[in-house]
Amino acid sequence: MAWYEAFGLLIGMIVVLMLLGMPVAIAFLASNIVGAAIFMRGATGVEQMLHNGYGAMTLFALVPIPMFLLMGELFFYTGLANRMFNAIDRLMGNVPGRLSYVTVAGGTAFATLSGSSMGSTALLGSTMVPEMMRRGYNKYLSIGPILGTGGLAVIIPPSALAVLLATLGQTDVGDLLIAGIIPGLILATAYVVVIFLWTRLDPNAAPGYQAGSVSIGEKLLLVVRDVIPMFLVVAACIGAMVTGISTPTEAAAVGCLAVMVLAAAYRALTIKAIRSSLAGAMRVTVMSFFIILGSATFSQLLAFSGASSGLIEWATSYELAPLAMLFMMIGIILLLGCFMDQLSMMLLTAPIFFPLAQTLGFDLTWFGLILLLALEVGYTTPPFGLLLFVMKGVAPSHITMRDVWLAATPFVACVLGLILLVIFVPSLALWLPGLSH
Amino acid sequence: MLSRTLDRIVDLMASLAGVLLLAMMVMIILDIFAREVGLSFSAHFFALTEYSLLIIPLLGGPWLVRERAHVTVEVLLVTLPPKARARVLTALCWLCIVTCLILAYFGVLVTLDTYTAGDMDMRSFDMPRWMLLAFMPLSFGMMVLEFFRLWLRGEPIARVGAIDIPNQDN
Repeated sequence: MAWYEAFGLLIGMIVVLMLLGMPVAIAFLASNIVGAAIFMRGATGVEQMLHNGYGAMTLFALVPIPMFLLMGELFFYTGLANRMFNAIDRLMGNVPGRLSYVTVAGGTAFATLSGSSMGSTALLGSTMVPEMMRRGYNKYLSIGPILGTGGLAVIIPPSALAVLLATLGQTDVGDLLIAGIIPGLILATAYVVVIFLWTRLDPNAAPGYQAGSVSIGEKLLLVVRDVIPMFLVVAACIGAMVTGISTPTEAAAVGCLAVMVLAAAYRALTIKAIRSSLAGAMRVTVMSFFIILGSATFSQLLAFSGASSGLIEWATSYELAPLAMLFMMIGIILLLGCFMDQLSMMLLTAPIFFPLAQTLGFDLTWFGLILLLALEVGYTTPPFGLLLFVMKGVAPSHITMRDVWLAATPFVACVLGLILLVIFVPSLALWLPGLSH
Repeated sequence: MLSRTLDRIVDLMASLAGVLLLAMMVMIILDIFAREVGLSFSAHFFALTEYSLLIIPLLGGPWLVRERAHVTVEVLLVTLPPKARARVLTALCWLCIVTCLILAYFGVLVTLDTYTAGDMDMRSFDMPRWMLLAFMPLSFGMMVLEFFRLWLRGEPIARVGAIDIPNQDN
């Protein structure tokens, strides 16, 4: 079978099953069974597939996925997330567009801690949007920043998605996690600038109203009691990595413990909160690991059938500039993002893109970060980005899909801008990982 | 009666997975602590954590099917007329059943093979490989039952965004 036939068969089967609505993980497994039967000598291939899955799942590098998820769920179910939002809200006083900034600040912290764009969007969309609309905020300014913060979740550590991508691309997990810090902060700053300019250009977008006055003493108390401790969790995570007390992989467990200690200190660590958090973390963990079970064989099938090498040879035969190839890969992700979630996009593209990136001489950490950002843009790109539908689902009913698209646009533009910045200034991504070595 | 027994088994498996998830966190923290104070038994925690990474999802798999919490892509589904959509969903449910059945069958074969060959998983301590592989047929077998139950009840195989579409014509 020619490489393009094998490629078409393997990719085509998965895409068709996914598009029909089959659970993504099972679609991967089903296609692998067929692929293994054709390219890996029938029954032996299916047995090999289970052995591959066994090997791929018992990898210590995957520890952060369940740990980061558990950390985010604990943060949410113990009420620590809400506490922090309220505090930031009160601290900002009468700044125009205050709640939009609160969304960016709180959303960044929550998205960072939970590592989940979808969870973060659902939480903020259901809590902040009605509140902002009630206070007369322009609908775009209510929705946009929330969609934007999802982009931060995937790049600022801890990010479960970054761990998964590094694992799939067989690149250093710790490096990819740390690489996201500086670009993440730049992105958060860009969002703040967008809101600032927006409220300046259109003062009606965020109505002026008097917030309850908060004394300096109260502000100090809020910072010390409700804000600093939450950031200590992130500090504990990153600190443990940077100081070498724990490996980046183990840092996820440190973060988890830190949230538990914090919740216990606030007397919020109830059995109910732990149970709900475990259930929430399990949902995504189980699904992700089943996908890993399938992906271990998928990349092997691509290699066995000659699809990977054929595609790489074909792509490099045109002698396109590496940069053009990079833009092409980003374009494919943006296109896939119209109808796929990030996990599926990653699984389809990582086994093909990473070897290609290596052939083109790209730094894989830098490339991984760009891919992560592109995945997030794909997730938020009109008309079909999945995050847009999540927002539509949780926002008040009079918000139309068009409103959500328009609201997302300036923030998507920020992420696109950041992608370009990272492409042309690679040190933004590579400086910190270099230091940690 | 059968349905309740299935629920209990699936609940038990999921609860064990949850406990293991929590235990994994404790093991990693103990591992870091042991290493910091120079204790040498920490390698066992490492191996146990790796085994947990395999066991947790396999124990939680059937529960995820029952919760209908798998991610699906709904772009095409929502555009189909109700009858066609129901037929596609029924077909997909059966495809899931067949996929899991094949994996459960080969899981049994692989487990028996490694048991007969006496294969060991050699990490910081030796572990019979079949003991770990056995979770695969268990998980996929239970998933077959869960998908089958969803089909019997006419429930969709996953929560499709805001819409809950029945997967049968009836």
